[in-house]
Amino acid sequence: MAEYTLKLRRYDPQAGDAPYYEEFQVDLEPHRSVLEAILKVKAEQDGSVGIRCSCRAAICGSCGVRINGRPGLACHTHLDKAAKTGVNADGKTILVEPMGNMPVIKDLIVDMDAVHWKKIQRVTPWLINKQPVPEREYIVPHENMVDVTQTMACIQCGACVSDCLSMEVDPLFVGPAASAKAYRFVGDPRDAEQYERLKDLAEDPHGIYDCTHCFTCIDACPKGVAPMSQIMRLRRIAGNDHHIVDRNNGERHERAFVSLIRDYGLLHEAELLPRSYGGDSWFGKFHPAAGQQLLESLPVLARGLATGKFTVKKAMLGHRIPKADLKAVKAIYEKVEGKDRRYELNLYISGYEDDDEAAPAEAVPAAVGAGDGMPSAPGPDPNRPTAASESESA
Amino acid sequence: MKVAYWPGCVSRGFTPELHGSMAAVAPLLDIELVELDRACCTGAGVIAEHSQELADTLNARTFALAQAVQGADLMMNICSTCQGAQSESQERLDANSEYRTHVNGTLAGEGLSYEKGLTNKNFLWLLVEEIGLENLKKKVKRPLTNLKVGPFYGCYIVRPTDRLGIDADRPRDHYLHWVIEALGGTVIDYAGIHKCCGFPIITMNKEASLKQAGRHLSDAQDAEADCLVVPCPLCHLNLDLQQPLASKAVGRDDLKMPVLHLPQLVGLALGLEPKQLGMSKHVVKPTSVIDWSSAVVAAPAPA
Amino acid sequence: MPAHDVLIIGAGLAGQRAALAAADAGASVAILSKVHPVRSHSVAAAGGINAALNPEDSWESHAFDTVKGSDYLGDQDAIEIMCREAPDEILWLEHAGVTFHRNGTGHLGTRAFGGASQARTYYVADITGQAILHVLYERLMMHGERISRYEEWFTTQLLQDESGACVGCVARDIRTGALEVFNAKSVILASGGAGQAFKPTTNALICTGDGIAQAYRIGAPLMDMEMIQYHPTTLAENGFLITEGARGEGAHLYNALGERFMEKYAPNKLELASRDVVSRAEQTEINEGRGFPDGTIALDITKVPRKRTLEALREIVNIGKDFAGVDITREPIHIRPGMHYIMGGVKTDYDGQTSIPGLYAAGEVACVSVHGGNRLGANSLLDTLIFGRRSGDHAAQRARGTAMPRSPVSVLNDAQGEIDGILNRPTGGRRISEIKNELGETMNRYVAVYRDADGLATALEIVRRLKDEAPNAAIDDKGTVFNQDVLAAVELGYMLDVAEAIVVAAQERRESRGAQFRTDYPERNDAEWLHHITVSLNGDGPSLGTAPVTMTRWEPQERTY
Repeated sequence: MAEYTLKLRRYDPQAGDAPYYEEFQVDLEPHRSVLEAILKVKAEQDGSVGIRCSCRAAICGSCGVRINGRPGLACHTHLDKAAKTGVNADGKTILVEPMGNMPVIKDLIVDMDAVHWKKIQRVTPWLINKQPVPEREYIVPHENMVDVTQTMACIQCGACVSDCLSMEVDPLFVGPAASAKAYRFVGDPRDAEQYERLKDLAEDPHGIYDCTHCFTCIDACPKGVAPMSQIMRLRRIAGNDHHIVDRNNGERHERAFVSLIRDYGLLHEAELLPRSYGGDSWFGKFHPAAGQQLLESLPVLARGLATGKFTVKKAMLGHRIPKADLKAVKAIYEKVEGKDRRYELNLYISGYEDDDEAAPAEAVPAAVGAGDGMPSAPGPDPNRPTAASESESA
Repeated sequence: MKVAYWPGCVSRGFTPELHGSMAAVAPLLDIELVELDRACCTGAGVIAEHSQELADTLNARTFALAQAVQGADLMMNICSTCQGAQSESQERLDANSEYRTHVNGTLAGEGLSYEKGLTNKNFLWLLVEEIGLENLKKKVKRPLTNLKVGPFYGCYIVRPTDRLGIDADRPRDHYLHWVIEALGGTVIDYAGIHKCCGFPIITMNKEASLKQAGRHLSDAQDAEADCLVVPCPLCHLNLDLQQPLASKAVGRDDLKMPVLHLPQLVGLALGLEPKQLGMSKHVVKPTSVIDWSSAVVAAPAPA
Repeated sequence: MPAHDVLIIGAGLAGQRAALAAADAGASVAILSKVHPVRSHSVAAAGGINAALNPEDSWESHAFDTVKGSDYLGDQDAIEIMCREAPDEILWLEHAGVTFHRNGTGHLGTRAFGGASQARTYYVADITGQAILHVLYERLMMHGERISRYEEWFTTQLLQDESGACVGCVARDIRTGALEVFNAKSVILASGGAGQAFKPTTNALICTGDGIAQAYRIGAPLMDMEMIQYHPTTLAENGFLITEGARGEGAHLYNALGERFMEKYAPNKLELASRDVVSRAEQTEINEGRGFPDGTIALDITKVPRKRTLEALREIVNIGKDFAGVDITREPIHIRPGMHYIMGGVKTDYDGQTSIPGLYAAGEVACVSVHGGNRLGANSLLDTLIFGRRSGDHAAQRARGTAMPRSPVSVLNDAQGEIDGILNRPTGGRRISEIKNELGETMNRYVAVYRDADGLATALEIVRRLKDEAPNAAIDDKGTVFNQDVLAAVELGYMLDVAEAIVVAAQERRESRGAQFRTDYPERNDAEWLHHITVSLNGDGPSLGTAPVTMTRWEPQERTY
């Protein structure tokens, strides 16, 4: 047994008082969960402490909270670990607060309808059956089902939404949970509208290109759904397979970045901006779409030049790696980009493989590739409309 | 110690003062830098977004080049984003021998091959884990007494914790705090310490991007920080180069928050002058820091 | 005052499936639940769902396995319907979007499960319940205009008209504390089981027998209440479930001597005998001193190839790691039998109709009875879906010929009075949690795998004392917003009613059949006890009755695995 101080953020909407913190002493074994400690407080000290909970085993998704500043499930966080988490951890005190980015209803209970579920609704969260619906089951590769089952494992607890840093500044951002839900259909070969779903999410200024790639949702998720990785896959399929050129410069930025590294080996920042805005060539900066954005960036470049941060020559020509190495890099591009289908590891399993005792080579590719026997990621449906006017840059 | 040194792109592009200050600081810490000048960009997550295999192959090439450096103890970078992108590739390569063999097949043309298990550390990690805080303290010539420093880690070096090897035994998400203290400075606590600078979406959603930078700068200023310190040049771009726009985005005309690269802060404490560390190249002049340094110089030297 | 053709109380698999079926049949539908639908306990069902979908399999085989599993107490007409309709239900789910496991050819693949003569369990890793529940909720969102959702509403009572028909319910909006009368032409109870009357249990905190007690209180008979399933593999410390899928995938059970003891108890099916048999075997090993010192048995999942475990048993890999500190791919995990499921419930026919006109029940709250004395693994999801759908259908049809009832305002005042009574209780009584703990521990001690007359008498005495204490249990929270204290007080009353019914039924059945093993009557006795036991509320207390077991084609035989 060990003594912990549970510091709970209390809020009673009927009292008319501001939220406050209340401390409770709890005696429990260190490997017990934060939820067990809260339930012990409720049972023995104060039945008015509000927290949603049900299964106690990290499957119902009810008890999302912030523990010492980090989002997670109360039932899934051990007391000893919780007490050691956070910059100000003292090994004894456990601060429990309601999740962020959502309005608080009472104590640790937030209004998930107002934010989380609204965003889930936003992504047309149901299967739109590919026609004709077969008499029996759809025939689908095993790997595809394993792949979408990773996002199916989302328990809608809201931990990722709680601390999404993009949502913090842009409340309209579709967010990590809804994006993972979107992948659940985009990656499902039985869905008829992969292109439409991606187009919708790419064109929305608060859609998939609004993710700032901060990994917070990956750390927050108690089920290994890795929402940010799902967002990256949505972008990949939108850009590579459907050539959806969104008005948020997302696809152009990615393409410009990728080809700049091919051409220079290093990032050529001054060239990245115009290409991201205008299009993936040196002439991109003269594209009308680039004009306004570039005009806005000019003061930035001017500031850089004025401080001697970089020279005009560097800004124009950029730096690059030696010629022989550039050739090697190009060869890698040609080999990898020259394939019909991508070789992509399944996030679901790759982290567990290849330890000392296990049999070697447990590679589980995300899907069985077409022609060349190369495992690959779920690709586009050839029968589906795509914005095919754009050709692959590589 | 000898390290295979990956400086990244931005430190040789838009933030040359980072590369320069690292080069100035290294000898003072007895670090021999062997620059990986043949290696290419890590992809910063963007190439991985485009093609996992492409990013992993390019990074495997860098790892192989690092492993070919004779006598190097490990590989070091000075960019959180590089650390994050490389760690992601390394995680996949190390976890899966079949995949690793496949990727090495692509590198074979150059005679390169990546062997599982490379040690790759950001300068921050190296300071704490290889050089040691006690050792670092001994080298301090000009303790950062009374300098109030706000740590800003950048996402790629603190998340995801599993991949980056962060746990109770190696709380790498506290290291910046420790280093500031070891150098004699005062750590300023503010909301943005582990948050995102917003840089990755600057071309996609400029407003949201600048708002993120603006908020952290405002929070740090309101907490009375003299400056921020970052282990990532991309954070520096959004926090320093874009600070005038970021202030506008959050409606704060009063923002004047100097942002130092980690080697600059270390260099300052080890006795180098602001100018030697390239601080004049910042958009927001680190006046408070420079004033502080001259004030310290004027004062009697500490024992 | 909301009024709908069909009102569904509870939004797990049975409730959501009923809602979709009723809406399909053209009814206006309301679905009401005390938690958000995806929090319902169906989410925890792990291993899979049975159906004879393979051409080599047959529904008759599935039905026979179920009848045998039930120890011949299941009603064979209902079992036939369930097994016959199972394949189409799986395909319906597949088309709705459930990400069922595929085999190498891209077709639906199966895993083996306990008590089944064929591998006929369809699954999504070991999150089958979650996957199906979430997909059904996707469908509810899709039909948002036809199905009104009342999420986080707590039902306090069912309403009847003068003729005795059920015409709706009173429910409390948990977020505001406001009480509301819901009128409906047909009402479907789908509020799940009562596992929280036991401690420990695999069941979630919300499984407090609400629907069973609500129906019982308005006169609906309960049936097979003595049949409580103890799952063979639950974590020793906290009672969490380790899916039967683990044994389906090839895991073994060992006692402390390293013996694979199931060879002794079920030489043919071994670990995949039916649950009552395996649990009893484990308990015997433990009672006779061959368990581990902490009173457990070892479940060895390392027998399953590691990659397969990581892919198909991912959830229990996490449970082992997070809640027991064990890497199940590397070492055995310690388990014991734990309370898991209640075969009994509100007596219904195979269209979900209870004895109260207008009141239906489906899922764990109901007793059709397809499970009889012992439910087979992966038959519960099937039960919820088949009889959820059938109830929804039938309730919608019944609504077509019925006028919309209007409950008098007075019912609201009376209900409010009861809530106020709880809020205004004086301090000084025992805490709700104390009473609940004593109930749970009592049930788990005396009404578990092995039972006898003395233990059951003790249990009844304690339950009745707790029933006296409960109305005085103290309340800390006096507010209206998310007052979970008030709800806990009401739930405690529900659990006590259900517990009492369980104990009296267990006392009544003086034989051993299925999950009921009486050490004082160790044999099955078909001559005297091949019938259901019913429990109805008579005045203040339970009264017992019987109901015949429907036999169609399978005569009782000796049961060996």
